[in-house]
Amino acid sequence: MSNKAARNLFLFGSLFFFVIFLGLTYDTLGKLDQRAPAITEEVNAGKMVWHKYDCIGCHTIFGNGSYFAPELAKITEKKPKDYLKKFLMNPKAVNANASMPKFGITSEEADKLLAFLDWTAKVDTNGWPPKPILAVAAGVGGQELTAGQKLYQAHGCSGCHMINGIGGTTGPDLSHVGSKRDRDWLVGHFKDPDDYVKGSAMPKVEAAQADLEQLTDYMLTLK
Amino acid sequence: MSIKYESQKIAEYFYTFAVVLFLVQVVVGIIAAVQFIRPDFFMLNFNIIRSLHINALVVWLLVGFMGATYYVVPEESETDLWGLPLAKLQFWATVGTITAVVLGYIWMGINPQANNPIMGINPLNEGREYIEAPRWADILIVISVLTFLFINFMTMLKTKKWTGIQGTLLGGLTFLALMYLPGLFYTKSMVKDQFWWWWVVHLWVEGAWEIIAGALLAFMLMKVVGARREVVEKWMYIEVGFVMFTGILGTGHHYYWIGTPGYWLWVGGIFSSLEPLPLLFMVWDAFRTTRGARNVTNKAGLFYTVAHAIFNFVGAGLWGIIHTLPQVNKWTHGTQITTAHGHLAFYGAYVLLVISMIYITLPAIRGVKEFNTSRAYQSFWWMTISMIFIVLTITGAGMVQTYMERLMGLDYVAVKATYNLWFWILRAIFGVGFLYGVWIFVVDFFKLGREPVPVVSAAPEKA
Repeated sequence: MSNKAARNLFLFGSLFFFVIFLGLTYDTLGKLDQRAPAITEEVNAGKMVWHKYDCIGCHTIFGNGSYFAPELAKITEKKPKDYLKKFLMNPKAVNANASMPKFGITSEEADKLLAFLDWTAKVDTNGWPPKPILAVAAGVGGQELTAGQKLYQAHGCSGCHMINGIGGTTGPDLSHVGSKRDRDWLVGHFKDPDDYVKGSAMPKVEAAQADLEQLTDYMLTLK
Repeated sequence: MSIKYESQKIAEYFYTFAVVLFLVQVVVGIIAAVQFIRPDFFMLNFNIIRSLHINALVVWLLVGFMGATYYVVPEESETDLWGLPLAKLQFWATVGTITAVVLGYIWMGINPQANNPIMGINPLNEGREYIEAPRWADILIVISVLTFLFINFMTMLKTKKWTGIQGTLLGGLTFLALMYLPGLFYTKSMVKDQFWWWWVVHLWVEGAWEIIAGALLAFMLMKVVGARREVVEKWMYIEVGFVMFTGILGTGHHYYWIGTPGYWLWVGGIFSSLEPLPLLFMVWDAFRTTRGARNVTNKAGLFYTVAHAIFNFVGAGLWGIIHTLPQVNKWTHGTQITTAHGHLAFYGAYVLLVISMIYITLPAIRGVKEFNTSRAYQSFWWMTISMIFIVLTITGAGMVQTYMERLMGLDYVAVKATYNLWFWILRAIFGVGFLYGVWIFVVDFFKLGREPVPVVSAAPEKA
């Protein structure tokens, strides 16, 4: 290849990829507003507070930032707002072990900041951050177990089946069972597995009809 | 060896400022490392220390590039620099602006309320990572960079040599200046804020800066081993070409989880996986060109050049690709794995690049043919071994964090304060080792060519 050809490859190749990038940027910018709630004046005021105190100098938001303090994009889903407000205004008064200093955030500023963080919590982030698989399986991920999940544990289903990486490998993986089977199939299968899967080694699930329905409810959430 | 054009000496001004900021960056880095263990350590909080740490880094590398460019362009154009007094003014104005910004950060650290918006604009700190500098400073920085580009362009116009190296270098610097613009406006949406922010950050370090690195690598290979221009420039075009082909759409690996459409998972995943390739070309290029080289006078320069190529690939390439696929990144995004990648990538790709340029051009500026290289090697090994261990400890911390916080669901603070504590302690210790290496380098920078050379045959010649 001549030097001129190499130079042209660099120049026009770069231009080519940049034009594609611009096209994708145009498309993305048109879609962003549908992937997030409307931005009110209060949300924007909260974003200004976020910048004023250089929150990103310690925290991350959407995973970008300083990795020194917890991720905040979905924080309002995890902790009560009253707690967060008190914490923002005087962290060590709420939690003596807190690392965060008192910045002088006012009550008004805290409200705005929480409105902003409420907004970030509702942004469609392609499923990030993922739910921790062990905590979800153990029901300690910050949410109560549903009746179906409790039955799943009580019957020891995870001895053989796996959901999201947790459980045994002897039975089929149930992580996506909800998108493969319907309600009738699942309820009937619980009553007599062999009827549905010839030669199945799975024992009948000895439980009341209502319990089987609840277990099925849980199965149908696994998609 | 001496410089061909008197005006090339302006490079030393920029190098000096860069080296001083490098020392500042590493000192505040150690304060930050200790704050991971004791958050209340030091009068300024972590956010201010961290802003200083990363801003000093970006500025000293930029200033280093400027110095290197002021050296390269007269040599390539075979003429003195156009408007030397203007270049000196640009230098002092830049020093003044940066000093004011630093004082602003410190003031805000002491009194957070001082950053209250004035007419909707934060006067001391914009609160956006890497581009914290307030709007007034942004404008001054843009003026400085435009002046710098103008001086170099006018120099080229004097002789119109248009060599590939200086064309690519100036192209990279112009791209750098343009990509600062997407960071200059306010958006109400945090998603759009981060979308444009990545144009600045990613298209700098994985675009414009790598073009500059490619051009400077070509220049250094020609200088130290006397490689043929046609061959060096051809490979330079291929390298920087592939940097752009993979790096531009590779921006997508930052658009996985910030509220952007799902197709970025594909675009980012595929193109960013290819990003290490051009960096591997550079390693191969450096080895191929220098392997048969005999009679190299500047052995330290050669050493740093090859080390830069290798660690650019390891830090930016390998430590990047381990967590660039969306399937992996979903779990590691926002953890210490990113910090580990950031440290080794900046060190390998750009710290070693600027130091290489200093070792290759400073002896000529100081008018010496040979210099005592023992400190150059000492500082290299202190810095490099320390950095490798810093990166390994943070990578370990990142793996523990990914497993315990992201997979098991332990609380962020619990993992940081207990399970990762030893990693923070080790990191701070290796940080001190790194500081020692930097100190040796800084001493060497100020003493190089100004003390007797131990070898008898190498009498210094006048500039």
